[in-house]
Amino acid sequence: MRVAPVLLASVVAFAAIEGAVFHTGVYPWILNPDGSTGYLETILRHERERPKNGPQVLGIGDSRMILLPRISNQHTAETGYTFGTIAVAGSSPRSWYYMLRDTDPTARLYRAIVLALESYDDAEKWGDEADNDADLSYVIVHLRLTDLWEYSRSFHAPKQQWKAARGILLKELVYKRDFENLLLHPVGRFNNVRLSRRDSFGWFYGYSGPPDTVSDYRIDWETKTVTAPPNADPARVDGLKTRLLLPLAPQSGNQSSYLKYWLGKIHERYRDAPTRLIFLRLPRGGFVRPDQAPYNPHSSVRELAAQPNVTLMDEHFFDSLEKPELFQDEMHLNGPGMNRFSLMITEEVRRILGPPR
Amino acid sequence: MLFNTPQFFLFLAVTLAVFYLAPKPARKWILLIASYFFYMSWNWRFAPLLLSLTVIDYVAAIWMERVETPRRRKLFLVLSLAANLGFLGFFKYYNFLASMLAEALRKDSHAFALSIVLPLGISFHTFQSISYVVDVYRGEQKAIRNPIDYALFIAFFPQLVAGPIVRAREFFADYYKWAPPVSEETLRGVLWILLGLTKKMTLADQFAQIADSYFKNLAAHPGAPAAWSGVGAFAMQIFFDFSGYTDMAIGMALLLGFHFPTNFRRPYLAFSITDFWHRWHISLSRWLRDYLYIPLGGNRHGALMTYRNLMITMLLGGLWHGASWNFVIWGGYHGALLGLERVFGRKHFQEPPHWLLYPFRAAITFVLVCVGWVFFRAATLHDGVYVIQQMFSWHGKGILIPAWLGCVLAVSLVIAVLEERTEWIERLAHGPAWAYVAVVVTLLFSVELIGVTEKAVPFVYFQF
Repeated sequence: MRVAPVLLASVVAFAAIEGAVFHTGVYPWILNPDGSTGYLETILRHERERPKNGPQVLGIGDSRMILLPRISNQHTAETGYTFGTIAVAGSSPRSWYYMLRDTDPTARLYRAIVLALESYDDAEKWGDEADNDADLSYVIVHLRLTDLWEYSRSFHAPKQQWKAARGILLKELVYKRDFENLLLHPVGRFNNVRLSRRDSFGWFYGYSGPPDTVSDYRIDWETKTVTAPPNADPARVDGLKTRLLLPLAPQSGNQSSYLKYWLGKIHERYRDAPTRLIFLRLPRGGFVRPDQAPYNPHSSVRELAAQPNVTLMDEHFFDSLEKPELFQDEMHLNGPGMNRFSLMITEEVRRILGPPR
Repeated sequence: MLFNTPQFFLFLAVTLAVFYLAPKPARKWILLIASYFFYMSWNWRFAPLLLSLTVIDYVAAIWMERVETPRRRKLFLVLSLAANLGFLGFFKYYNFLASMLAEALRKDSHAFALSIVLPLGISFHTFQSISYVVDVYRGEQKAIRNPIDYALFIAFFPQLVAGPIVRAREFFADYYKWAPPVSEETLRGVLWILLGLTKKMTLADQFAQIADSYFKNLAAHPGAPAAWSGVGAFAMQIFFDFSGYTDMAIGMALLLGFHFPTNFRRPYLAFSITDFWHRWHISLSRWLRDYLYIPLGGNRHGALMTYRNLMITMLLGGLWHGASWNFVIWGGYHGALLGLERVFGRKHFQEPPHWLLYPFRAAITFVLVCVGWVFFRAATLHDGVYVIQQMFSWHGKGILIPAWLGCVLAVSLVIAVLEERTEWIERLAHGPAWAYVAVVVTLLFSVELIGVTEKAVPFVYFQF
């Protein structure tokens, strides 16, 4: 046997099988719907399979945008717009770009895309968002070999860059936990997938959010303490402390350059499209900390706002929702809060877009 | 730089490329530089130690040849052994002895302790050095005149850290008649590397998670099923880990034109403890036999002396693994079992039983070996005794090994049995190309699908 042809044939055979199983829709079809990758795929599948009659508006963001369509679509007859969402808990603008690329491959499906941001000032986060470990798991299904350079270079830490590059080449390495879970519970997995495919659209679009509130909690900004009611959920108390009482992250410019890059890429995709990009600043919580990130006139969205197809909703448009009785925890609106939030978005989007043509 | 990291594969690729592109006289320099780079990538501060031992043994061997009186030859041998065992003793056993002394003096067990980092591979390269100087002393090996040649023999990166413990005559037989590997050898080399990587990442590291979760929290897993599966998981971890490392070392050596001896021959298919030691860490067993058991008298002075020599050899073999009473017990346990097998008839335990009896005997041997592993793995003597009690408690529930890993293990067992009967892995490079490709692709998929790739888990034997 000659060495080079045999080794080359081995590598080609491996790459061909790997590609056929993991770089196509074969493995994603059986992803765990409860895992991060599988959950995102479920959301995107809902959006792909959702009937799209009339002008469409798509919401994207993190967990705080998930419940948008239920209320918005109750008003379709008045507004003329149908709403969908591909918001996923913990997702960020880098993931949104790849999610949008596959959800709207022609960049012509939607009249508007509503992007929900935490801040208009590119407020810094603790930890570099560019190195967010979860991003790769979220969008691995949608990454192509041609994304290898740009996507892996978008991480700052060399370890993360390597992990991303390796993951794009050998996708199973990213699916590994999912695959191990499949090995542990093969029958349960297939049942779960079947159930999710049959019913998850209804669960998702019908869910109205919990009634819980944080109105029994008190924040003392002077002493930096949270007073919780008896039997309070410790996770909720910790969440409030972390979000409200920890010092603000110092402004390093990392978040700004990250957002400028990825929001810029999203805008670039829709530059000549009939799609308006509408940004909104999410309601900050039932309690709003007195110290806020400094005003940044050159932030990513404020610079993007100069573009013809970009609109920024008023930064304080949702301030009226920032009440403890409308929040279930430190940052998530509860059911009634989400209803009001969705309605406000619906009306404002209708105002921005005007009547459907 | 662990064998199971991308950095190591980059290092290996660069070393192979530079080695084969360089003119022949420069190649030994390249291997030596690569070997020291590999060693220093772990901790550069210990390079002088490795170099010192190399110089001492190199000089001692040459002087042993030069002097004419046996007394002086012996003096150089003793000096060399003192240096080797002195370094090994200090780094590996000082704290063990210091704690015993402190306890004898009724002081805190850490009263005389020092913060010592064990140099990588010291147990292995020390034994390799000792075998060389003893062979020169006995006249079985000529002293190596070229210091670069000798330094490479000690530091050769594929086996520097965890063996196999190669004899000088084996190494230099290849070295002085070096020829590039033929196609089949290259393919075998690649196959051994992949096979080793698969053993390490897909089996050893998976079983390591189970063994660690059991041994690190014994109280959480009471009862016999958990104990047997925890101990069984460790038995699999240590075998696949160490034999995986050895397979990779053998494969790398083949790619560089060297032939290392077999170090593992499917030890869990052994039909007796005697047979087990002919299959497990063969290069160490051979070293202990040639440089300890036989010099002690071997079996030449009657039954009682034979048992004594066997026990001393196994106790020291146990202690070689680590400075702890657990390793001494492990060695003593195996020494006792070997002695018992001799009592009941040596021939009976050296020749394979009838094929109908074979599985039964192999299962008993495996169980006995597993009982020994308890002391090898347990953090303390107390933990070891507790695990043994649990194993034979006949109560409890909850097997820790998941069904899918059990299936993988069953497949591995079938492969091992086939290999035992046909040696098909060795012959694969001579067979049809499609079969080779199929095996390589399967191995690559095993690593990708079930290999532990999130972090590189160190090899168990690196700590020895």
